[in-house]
Amino acid sequence: MPGKKQKSGPGPSTVTIRMYNVGFGDCFLLTFHYEKTERHMLIDYGSTAAPKNVSGKYMRAVANDIKDQCKGKLDVVVVTHRHRDHISGFSTQGDATGKIIASLNPSHVVQPWTEDPKAKPKALSATTSLYRKGKPAEKAMTSHFLGSLEDMHRIAGAIARFAQSDVLYAGTETRKQLAFLGESNLKNLSAVKNLMAMGKNGEAHYVNAGMKLNSLLPGVAITVLGPPTLKQTESIRTMRAKDPNEFWQFRSFWASQSLAAHAMVAQRGLSLKTTSTGQRKKTPAPNMRWFIGQSRQIHADQTLELVRDLDNVMNNTSVILLFEIGNRKLLFPGDAQIENWSYALQQKKWQDLLKDVNLYKVGHHGSLNATPKSLWRLFRHKGDDSTRNRLETLCSTKAGKHGSTRSGTEVPRKLLVEELEKDSDFHSTERYKTPNKLSNSITIEIS
Amino acid sequence: MPYYPTRRITILALDPSVRDRGKMLRTQIEIPNEVLDAGPCGHRIHVIDYDSTSDVLHPPIPIPAGVNRDDGLPDDPFENVTDDKALLNSPAFHAWMTYGVIMKTLSRFEFALGRRIGWSFDGHQIQVSPHAFADANAFYSDRAQGLFFGYFPSLDGKRKILSCLSLEVIAHETTHALLDGLRERYMDPSSPQQAGFHEGFADIVALLSVFSAESVVGKMVDLGLPNISSTTIRRSDLTVEKLRSSALLGLAQEMGSEISGIHGQALRRSVTLPPQKDYLTSGYCDESHACGEVLVAAVINAYLAVWIKRLKAIGDESKLDRKRAAEEGAEIADRLLTACIRAIDYCPPTDLQFADFVSAVLTADWELNPKDEKFDIRSSLLQWFREYGINPRSKGTEGRQEGSWDPPPRPAAFKYDRTHFDSMKADENELFRFLWENRAPFKLNDQAFTRVLSVRPCVRLGRDGFVLRETAVEYHQQLKVFARELLSLKIRKPDGMPDDTEVTLYGGNAVIFDEYGHVKYNIGNAIMERGAEQERQSKRLEYLWEHGGFAKGASKMRAFARMHRMRRTDWYRSLAPQKEAEV
Repeated sequence: MPGKKQKSGPGPSTVTIRMYNVGFGDCFLLTFHYEKTERHMLIDYGSTAAPKNVSGKYMRAVANDIKDQCKGKLDVVVVTHRHRDHISGFSTQGDATGKIIASLNPSHVVQPWTEDPKAKPKALSATTSLYRKGKPAEKAMTSHFLGSLEDMHRIAGAIARFAQSDVLYAGTETRKQLAFLGESNLKNLSAVKNLMAMGKNGEAHYVNAGMKLNSLLPGVAITVLGPPTLKQTESIRTMRAKDPNEFWQFRSFWASQSLAAHAMVAQRGLSLKTTSTGQRKKTPAPNMRWFIGQSRQIHADQTLELVRDLDNVMNNTSVILLFEIGNRKLLFPGDAQIENWSYALQQKKWQDLLKDVNLYKVGHHGSLNATPKSLWRLFRHKGDDSTRNRLETLCSTKAGKHGSTRSGTEVPRKLLVEELEKDSDFHSTERYKTPNKLSNSITIEIS
Repeated sequence: MPYYPTRRITILALDPSVRDRGKMLRTQIEIPNEVLDAGPCGHRIHVIDYDSTSDVLHPPIPIPAGVNRDDGLPDDPFENVTDDKALLNSPAFHAWMTYGVIMKTLSRFEFALGRRIGWSFDGHQIQVSPHAFADANAFYSDRAQGLFFGYFPSLDGKRKILSCLSLEVIAHETTHALLDGLRERYMDPSSPQQAGFHEGFADIVALLSVFSAESVVGKMVDLGLPNISSTTIRRSDLTVEKLRSSALLGLAQEMGSEISGIHGQALRRSVTLPPQKDYLTSGYCDESHACGEVLVAAVINAYLAVWIKRLKAIGDESKLDRKRAAEEGAEIADRLLTACIRAIDYCPPTDLQFADFVSAVLTADWELNPKDEKFDIRSSLLQWFREYGINPRSKGTEGRQEGSWDPPPRPAAFKYDRTHFDSMKADENELFRFLWENRAPFKLNDQAFTRVLSVRPCVRLGRDGFVLRETAVEYHQQLKVFARELLSLKIRKPDGMPDDTEVTLYGGNAVIFDEYGHVKYNIGNAIMERGAEQERQSKRLEYLWEHGGFAKGASKMRAFARMHRMRRTDWYRSLAPQKEAEV
């Protein structure tokens, strides 16, 4: 029983989970009520699309409410991963809501290991070797993985700009998706810097699967279930022969795509030495027009698939936290998808822990691949509304922003929502009907 | 004026990064001759050099008179260009090479199958863009009726990598387009083996096309058997293992990871994937592209084995001639390529498994060349397929080739007197009547929708050197039922599948008619007949259900493009257990 290891004093008697309505994004404030005091933990604070029925500077209102709720002091800030819909609130530019959060002097800042400033991303050169005698050089692999993440930011930047370009021939829907995903995956430098500074003022934790964060809050045991390190990742790859070359392929793919994306933005195709320069202005011959139209559509389509791919990789750097408070278990997985989850789900001891989860923050705003079947199957407290201690599920989302119904990738995914409604007490920010409603809260009794 | 039937074009045999004595490795290919329009634009291929990244249409390449003659051997426009840079920077060369390799691949298919081969779409000319977009990918789109070749900067930023300058990449993509025409159901969701087959087969055709170039095999000789002509060759050096680790790996390394990385690295995988008998059963092959690579590894290792056998047989005790060794290697690649392509006619039209392909290759080659004395190709193929755990579907009747398909049992139970022989060679309705009249011996399911997909007369060379006329026919059946009805069909309903889910079961056969119009082979899968078929259907549904095969949004082009991307970013995905689909 991991709970036994706690050394600190008596635990909280109740926990209030406040789910802010940030539109498409995540923002949760957990308040732990102790006999004489309260402790506050903020998990993510970001938004890429304003909520319905909300006007004005909603992010600013959220920041001020957080400030009020925690009475000027945050104990813990958790930033699951660096997607804009999870970190934009920490930015010190624009609305500058990040300044408000920084003023709450968080004592601890928890981020995934991929954010550790000590691990420097490495740019790829054609000759870099990541392996020694066929075995992965872990340190080199790590910095190359981080290098890939940097490449992905660059690609996203290029795609966000491409989405505005007049060279892009795409329908409104595709253009919207490209812009949305491109911008979500931009590197939010101001927020990243602000978080780093907050971590320096307090204590920064760069976590990976298997770590414990039991000293953050008295009576609260926190196990980090993800993200796995590359070494952990390698350790579960039993099905496939380990070919050192595979990681290199991954690395070089994103590096090449980053370079290609650069060419795309510069609209510098190939400078071919042809007799006449390109014929952009000239009307093509009739027997070429249909094919050109097709090519344009395909290019937009492929660009969208690429940005979706990198969006998934970023999601998988998410911190997954399992809280054990007395007899209650809360699960906050960020946007982790199956590739991140697979390490945790293969650990027997964690499977047992996960069975008893009482509250589940639905991964990735209810997308189709962030609630793995094998995880959902584990939960014991599922059932119809007569179920005792019924599982609570929280979903912060906004429809019509991510994916499409036509391709069965809409977020939130209809099928998943149906399942959640059927077998759990389902709470969604989409159901906040009152105008300008800031948040909803759930209180969990600890016995 | 007599028509001159072929032309020669100089192309790059390996991508530009590979050098042989300081020069790029060229080869001359021979393709059908035709009078071309600017583009080049011919009767099967139209090069339209549109770049969607920069929205620029590069002008069609004009064809000089000497290059466009049909009363004699046309000029090869790049035969005498010795400057590597001039080739690399010439859009005309890019267009010509793309045109040439597609044409060559098409004519190889036509040669092997003994008939004209159409593209999978409704139309005769495939449209090709050699500089399609800035993207590290290349693919075939049936919807756009085209082939797209991307370009991207090299990792050191100093060069542009053009996928249209890779013989391997062009042959691979063209094969997708041709195979999709020959077997339209192979891109259907079915099993990882069927999904992996498209990619694996495209790799096989691409690699064997590369090895058909003598200059490439010469390079392999240098890498694997250095100083071959001047020193004594130890016969003990001639083993598959040794040549694999020197010649093949050497070549894979020289090809680098940039351009060959577009489709994963089939050649390298053939070397690094050790023979193992449980690939297909252990879960390794749950990923379709990993699965395809197993098939490629078996064929490429068989190729090496055949080549080594030949090298041992030729030359005297002390010396082997480099040129001779290269010639033999190129010839074997060509033979093997023909057998593999020809095998497609002998593969079932739906739910293909590798076991079917093995029996098909053995049958195809046995039909073509029953003695197989010179190269003994079939025994090497059989051995290496088995080394990788791929056993033939059919045992093969005593006295015929081991592992090949059996002819239908005699006396044949088919009724021939209700249909007309001549119409049967071309008319789908007539053929359907033949099926219908013989629905019992063909084991057709009477509830299912049945359709003749193709009737293709072909002319092949018989064993005795005489011309042989055959007709290759494929039909399929599909049965749409609700999940709740599966049990009554003795098919397992996948765990958690709602009762009202509509599922489609497929079956179908490839039928080869001989020159008398009699059924020579009848190869395929009945929708349901025995326990084996019910098991096959159960497994297929289970696989599809677990892998989200009932999800919306699939398209062939997307599937091809995605498969290529997956092969390169596979490291990241392969850690996820495959049996995860949405809740």
